[in-house]
Amino acid sequence: MTDEILHLTDIDLTTIASTPIASTTIDLTNCDREPIHRPGSIQPHGILLVLQESTLEIIQVSSNTADLLDRQPAELLGKPLSELLDPEQVKLIQTCLAEDFETINPLNLSIKRLHQSMHFDGIVHRIDPVIILELEPKLADSKTDFFVFYQQVRGTITRIQKAPTLLEMCQLVVKEVRRLTNFDRVMVYQFDPEGGGHVIAEDTNQEAPYLDLHYPPSDIPKQARQLYTLNWLRLIPDASYQPVALIPAHNPITNQPLDLSLSGLRSVSPLHLEYLKNMGVTASMSISLIHDQKLWGLIACHHSSPKYIPYGTRTVCEFIGQVMSVELINKEASEDIDYKMQLKSLQTQFVEALSKSEHFLDGMAQLDRQLLDLVNATGAVICSGNQCIRVGDTPSSAAVHTLLSWIKPHFQHSVFETRSLAKNYPAAEAFQSIASGVLALEISKVHHNYILWFRPEVSQTVNWGGNPNKPVEVLQDGSLRMSPRQSFARWQETVRGSALPWKPCEIEAVAELRSLIVGVVLRQADELASMNFELQRSNEELDSFAYIASHDLKEPLRGIHNYANFLMEDYAEVLEGDGIEKLQTLVRLTQRMEDLINSLLYFSRLGRADLIRQPVNLNELVQQTIATLTMARPQSEIEFRVPQLLPTIECDRAQITDLYTNLISNAIKYNDKPQQWIEIGWVETAEGDREGMSQKIPSHAPTHPTFYVRDNGIGIAPEHLSKIFQIFRRLHGRDDFGGGTGVGLTIARKIVERHGGRIWVESVPTQGSTFYFTLSAEASL
Amino acid sequence: MIHPSAASVGQVPPLLVVEDSNEDFEALQRFLQRSPTSIPIQRCVSGEQALAFLYRTGAYSDRESSPRPGLIVLDLNLPGTDGREVLRRIKQDASLKTIPVVVFTTSNNPKDLADCYQYGVNSYIVKPINFAQLKQDIQTLVDYWFEVTAHAERSED
Repeated sequence: MTDEILHLTDIDLTTIASTPIASTTIDLTNCDREPIHRPGSIQPHGILLVLQESTLEIIQVSSNTADLLDRQPAELLGKPLSELLDPEQVKLIQTCLAEDFETINPLNLSIKRLHQSMHFDGIVHRIDPVIILELEPKLADSKTDFFVFYQQVRGTITRIQKAPTLLEMCQLVVKEVRRLTNFDRVMVYQFDPEGGGHVIAEDTNQEAPYLDLHYPPSDIPKQARQLYTLNWLRLIPDASYQPVALIPAHNPITNQPLDLSLSGLRSVSPLHLEYLKNMGVTASMSISLIHDQKLWGLIACHHSSPKYIPYGTRTVCEFIGQVMSVELINKEASEDIDYKMQLKSLQTQFVEALSKSEHFLDGMAQLDRQLLDLVNATGAVICSGNQCIRVGDTPSSAAVHTLLSWIKPHFQHSVFETRSLAKNYPAAEAFQSIASGVLALEISKVHHNYILWFRPEVSQTVNWGGNPNKPVEVLQDGSLRMSPRQSFARWQETVRGSALPWKPCEIEAVAELRSLIVGVVLRQADELASMNFELQRSNEELDSFAYIASHDLKEPLRGIHNYANFLMEDYAEVLEGDGIEKLQTLVRLTQRMEDLINSLLYFSRLGRADLIRQPVNLNELVQQTIATLTMARPQSEIEFRVPQLLPTIECDRAQITDLYTNLISNAIKYNDKPQQWIEIGWVETAEGDREGMSQKIPSHAPTHPTFYVRDNGIGIAPEHLSKIFQIFRRLHGRDDFGGGTGVGLTIARKIVERHGGRIWVESVPTQGSTFYFTLSAEASL
Repeated sequence: MIHPSAASVGQVPPLLVVEDSNEDFEALQRFLQRSPTSIPIQRCVSGEQALAFLYRTGAYSDRESSPRPGLIVLDLNLPGTDGREVLRRIKQDASLKTIPVVVFTTSNNPKDLADCYQYGVNSYIVKPINFAQLKQDIQTLVDYWFEVTAHAERSED
């Protein structure tokens, strides 16, 4: 198509004039690329003059000057504008070059010729590096008086503003425009996101209604939509016109076909002319409806015979289009107002529930029905991490999982929506009866938090303005040819695999929901962080408190100890034997108190000291510990069993020594059997069950050693198992089993925990106990 | 410079005890006095007072009444300038650092031990809550520092 147009513009002007472009073989392929803004010709209902900006010299003219001005193009080319217009009018144009054209157009121009004045509407604009002046002859009865204009639009504007709904506004506008223009048919045509559209309002004297007819995107190709956004109004008074070429063919300054994007007279694409002809339309006018800087729709006017609309009336219609465009926002906002309110309140409940729950998934799942109501869905899936919760009718978990992986790259601003999933995702055909419509929300990519909503398939009938599938013809030479369809009669199509569309307010609600959720999550994270900080601070305080307190407790204690001894030394004669005994008890108590304080000190220091991890051969460490412990009681005959060599692990040598010392000395202490034994060993975590260990260690955990110290001692009653690690907690009398401060196992637990591990005990009273521990975070999962 | 008057043979230089606790001081004094060697004892109850005594400032400007000690027994937890600071100042002073300092404290915190030896303390004794042990510790202290060891001559004055 592009090539053809360029080729045409290259050939002789006389050929162009004698070749009706509309009847040339037309091919619809590549029609999105047709350069319709540079057709090289204009419609014949006006004259186009191209002026050099600085001199206002006429450098290009339309070839119809003889018809409308009684001057041959050659008479005008190279002449100053003053050749046509009197100095006052030239001055007027010069003035308007310095200003905003819109406020000045149209200019009232008159051209004298043979004692006769011809009146024109002059429309000036600047494009390329030139000025274009378009002249349209004034009809005798047309007035462009402001008050006339005001009278014509005042009532209409008020009614547009008062219209309660979008549809009512559209209906009102088509009536008003038809009243002003007397077109056979006036419609409001609304574009859909894909570029197609359908008629949503119509006023006509014709029999066949176009209301609710759909048209495919190719009917108004992309660059045509672009021109509609540049020009608010487009008039074709007679589709069967002969195009008027420009002389010379190219803009002499750029040596390119003249850019007529902003020209009202611009010649119509031959494709569109054929389209109109097939539709039975001779005159047409389109007024753009712009919403949010995008072409929202058109007020489309059709007439079966030629029809010229004077500039003044066009301005009125254009103004109505502009007011309607502004009102679109208001009308859309008030559309479904009750539904929107309902969505808002659901949203609020939603966020409240969420902020009360500790976990995203739980909070969402509790909402159940509300989650569906939020977007009027029939099914929903909440994904968090590897977990999914399904509500209502949804595809299987596996299908949702695959679907989500497919959707992920398609998220736009964290939202994905479709009403006919299977169209782009064929796998969805399997479940299109429950999930043709999908609305997905990405809450966090990192934490893998998503919500998907589903809508079932709703079989729909679409009325097309003619079969929208382009007919392809095979030409004689074997090539394929397309052309605008011949028939625009109602053509029904049953659409399958589609759900009801997601309303903009529903999509908006979901997008808003995301920011609300993110807000809640952030706040919870903040609270958690400050709680952690507070906890850490209070832990540190507690540690240093324990250290300082126990340190300071020692001084008076030492005083008591010493002074009791002073008394015994200095007043031995005065004191009776009983008095000495009581002082000795006092001294013993101070020593016991010191033991407790020392244990507390040690315990608090454990929490503060840095862990020095280094490779430690536990085999050697345990042997040394046993040697140290048995040194004091060489007479004892405890059997120490180490069934297999202990490994070398990364740990704090001093602390692990203390750990084994505590566990082994407990095992020695709490044993009343004649044949005493203590087993020190370890197992790979995976073998836990075989070793008869509890279920606390999952069998799938990687192999990390679990260490144990087992004895055949007195055992621990089940009711005491939970207490043995508590500080200063003793299960036996102060002086039974050799006494003790009751802090040993607390220290053991602290050491294990500082290494990231866990300690626990299993015991059968009178038969023995086994203390298990791990020394790394992985092993204690 | 040697001042014969201050370094006369047979005169035992005093033991400076820096200890804020009266009870601990009394226990210390009790066993020091049982020592066969008669040792003059000078007590300070704070770090500031100890430094004033050593530098002969303020109330201690009289050389005769504030002789250079032969040994300093130093508690760590003192009001105001604490024992750790006093130790640091002594061991950083060219003229004072030759005086042996024995820390005598409740603290068995490994960090205190490490720090004190780092500063150059000559000995570190944890105050025991054990009467017999205390008696023995103090006897050992006196025997060692006043009988066994030889001391550097005073280089000041």
